Amino acid sequence: MPKQETHLGGAGSGEPELRNEQLFGLWVEQQLNEQQRHEFEQRCIEDHAFAKQVETFNLFSMHTEHYQSAEVPNWDRDSTFDRPDKVRWWQWQGLPTLSFATSMFAIVMVLTGLQVRTNNGAMTISFSGKQSDQEINKLVNDRLEKFQETQQLALTNYTQTMQQQQMDTSTQLTQYLLGSSRKERREDFAELIKYVNEQRGDDQLFYARQLNKLQQDIYANADLSGTGNINE
Amino acid sequence: MFEKTDEQLIAKSLQGNKQAWLNLLKRYEKQIYNYGMRMTGKNEDALDLMQEVFISVFRNLSTYRNEGSFKSWMFRIAHFRCIEFYRRKKPMQGLDDAPEVASEEMDAAESIHTNQENKQLINAMQQLPLAQKAVLELKFFGQFTFDEIAEQTGISANTAKSRLYGALEKLKTLMEVDYA
Repeated sequence: MPKQETHLGGAGSGEPELRNEQLFGLWVEQQLNEQQRHEFEQRCIEDHAFAKQVETFNLFSMHTEHYQSAEVPNWDRDSTFDRPDKVRWWQWQGLPTLSFATSMFAIVMVLTGLQVRTNNGAMTISFSGKQSDQEINKLVNDRLEKFQETQQLALTNYTQTMQQQQMDTSTQLTQYLLGSSRKERREDFAELIKYVNEQRGDDQLFYARQLNKLQQDIYANADLSGTGNINE
Repeated sequence: MFEKTDEQLIAKSLQGNKQAWLNLLKRYEKQIYNYGMRMTGKNEDALDLMQEVFISVFRNLSTYRNEGSFKSWMFRIAHFRCIEFYRRKKPMQGLDDAPEVASEEMDAAESIHTNQENKQLINAMQQLPLAQKAVLELKFFGQFTFDEIAEQTGISANTAKSRLYGALEKLKTLMEVDYA
């Protein structure tokens, strides 16, 4: 299709001439200044083809204004949502690097013998696992003192236990001795009283027999004397 | 009811909110569908083009930088998808070449469920080269300025003006025939 290269003379203002397309474009976007508007009108009068273009534009504009947009048929809208799955945390690009860095750090820790110690809330990081002599002496002294205290305490407890045991034994022996002697004396007295009681019983029996014999003798004598009298 | 702005829907879509994306899609699908109908002249092609445009828009959503309107950005994508679509359909035909309209394509708009006036307009547009048709579409139906058209189609504003002028020159003849 041949391009429209129509040039028309300006209005004598000294401004460069506008091509039909440019002038038409300015008119379409309503950006014509006064001079361009005059030139546009002049061109519409003088250039039949240009005037026809303007007429076609207006006609087409009218048709587009009456254009009724068609409704969208039902279609697969979901197919447009093709979002790729979210990258999981284990698929994070920095993970291999982080893993490598962690491994290297661990190797360095092993090779340098790094040790981390916490003592009374203070954290100490040392390399090669070496401790100063002062720390070792302090550690040994601490442990010795602790051991000594433990031993002293055990000895004291043992002594106290022994004393208590001895005291208990003595008390038990004394009580036994006292208890046994009291019992023996009680038994001796009981036997003495029994003996006295037996003696007294024997005496009473003896006296009873004596009295009885006396009584018999008395009765016997009386009978002898009385019978004679009667008989006499 | 408060309607969410394009930017809010875009942000939610980027977070994987499917409903937000569908809301955004429904806001513009009619414009894109009718754009496709006028550019391709066929209902099936318009639907295919619309699907391609929205897939492309979704895939490139993260690159939208709020520079200019979303509609303008979307129509830029639509234009390039339309050119791809056209080249796929008619690989031997240049963008500035007058289409070799087959007899069945002359009545292509018949398959579109629209009124007679629309059909005449769409039929007339199908006889324009794609380059001119794109400028005509964006100017009359998209209501874009020549600078915006130039940005969307990757040409200069003066070229856009020339293409519109050329399109109208050809339409003049076509409309005299069609609307006679």
